[in-house]
Amino acid sequence: MSLEEIVDSVMAMEDPAELTLSELARLSGLSREALRALVECGLIEPRSNARGGRRFSVRSVRVARRARRLRADFDLNASGLVLALTLLQRIETLEARLREVECQLLR
Amino acid sequence: MQYKDYYGILGVARDAKPDDIKKAYRLLARKFHPDVSKEPDAEERFKEAKEAYEVLKDPEKRSAYDQLGAWRPGQEFRPPPDWEQQARDFRFGYGTDAADFSDFFSALFGVRGRRNRAAPGGEFAIRGQDVEAAVRIALADALRGTQASLKIMLPEIDARGTITRAPREVKVRIPKGVTDGERLRVPGKGGRGMGGGPDGDLYLHITFERHPWFRTSGHDVYLEVPITSWEAALGAEVEIPTLEGRAKLKIPAGSRAGQKLRLSGKGLPLPAGRGHGDFYAVLQIATPPKLSERERELFQELAGTSRFNPRGHFGGS
Repeated sequence: MSLEEIVDSVMAMEDPAELTLSELARLSGLSREALRALVECGLIEPRSNARGGRRFSVRSVRVARRARRLRADFDLNASGLVLALTLLQRIETLEARLREVECQLLR
Repeated sequence: MQYKDYYGILGVARDAKPDDIKKAYRLLARKFHPDVSKEPDAEERFKEAKEAYEVLKDPEKRSAYDQLGAWRPGQEFRPPPDWEQQARDFRFGYGTDAADFSDFFSALFGVRGRRNRAAPGGEFAIRGQDVEAAVRIALADALRGTQASLKIMLPEIDARGTITRAPREVKVRIPKGVTDGERLRVPGKGGRGMGGGPDGDLYLHITFERHPWFRTSGHDVYLEVPITSWEAALGAEVEIPTLEGRAKLKIPAGSRAGQKLRLSGKGLPLPAGRGHGDFYAVLQIATPPKLSERERELFQELAGTSRFNPRGHFGGS
């Protein structure tokens, strides 16, 4: 396996939105309907590209994959799933904030 | 391969009712699901529980498992010779990734027949499994980018169609600009696809080794800088370490503890050459642990002379 090939293929989660809804469905294992529901509650935020199409970032893949795991492993229904994802995102935001504050506080 | 005691893993009796099995699984899932758990071995524990539940929740698989009789957990196990002849076709729940499960599971409930049937047509093409791996790097590596050599267990299908996991060494280049806790996706480097399906992806979870001085938050870097009370009062120029060697830091007169001095653009690089994060020196006022005679005199003189009252806003005198 050539190393150079890998270099180009590593994609950061921050990368610009580039996946279509179908690609996101394929990568996450969620149906397009399930993904649309996540978009509607703002858990996944697509960006519009120049031609008005919706594009998803690699970060969305992570959210969608997590959604699929939680739904399968906990037998969640749609509203339970949205609640779990919302709370997990909130925990992540708080952890990031905590981290930032810890950096500034002395020990 | 080792025998797995599925009842023991879920902590239920061999004659447990389906409801108790479900309850036990849910309890373990809440505790160890990698998406919600902070337990260090969460992922392994959850995989075990999920595998045990996959078998015990399904009457067909459970009774097949029960027929193996009693073994000790971890005992060296070979499936009975007639096992493969019994044409079983076990059902799997929607979204079940059998490749996640142990060799023991694949040997007993492997998806052999099904895979063979599905192989050439392409109609049943199955995408390779996505694989996650943790990578711990030093701060210096995040600054310059680095290569990491990973040993990951990749699901593979052998000639008989049985899924096994084989260790594979993968070299990945970690680009500069990654942050602590970030996830990278390496497309097509996960498990192999089947029946013409595409390969899965490799997801890297990046964490930083703890640095003795520097802390990071995203692309910003923080350094705690101890200064003396007179440096804080009078201002000073001190030398501090930064990511790129030592630098002079100007402490303005009248600085406070906790004050952040920003060295703009001296943090970690942003991806794709979009500049850098910032570097913050966080001031801390240090007091000499032991005062010399002369130091004590000077402090006493200052105490007698200064009229500064930092607690004026509390009122009183």
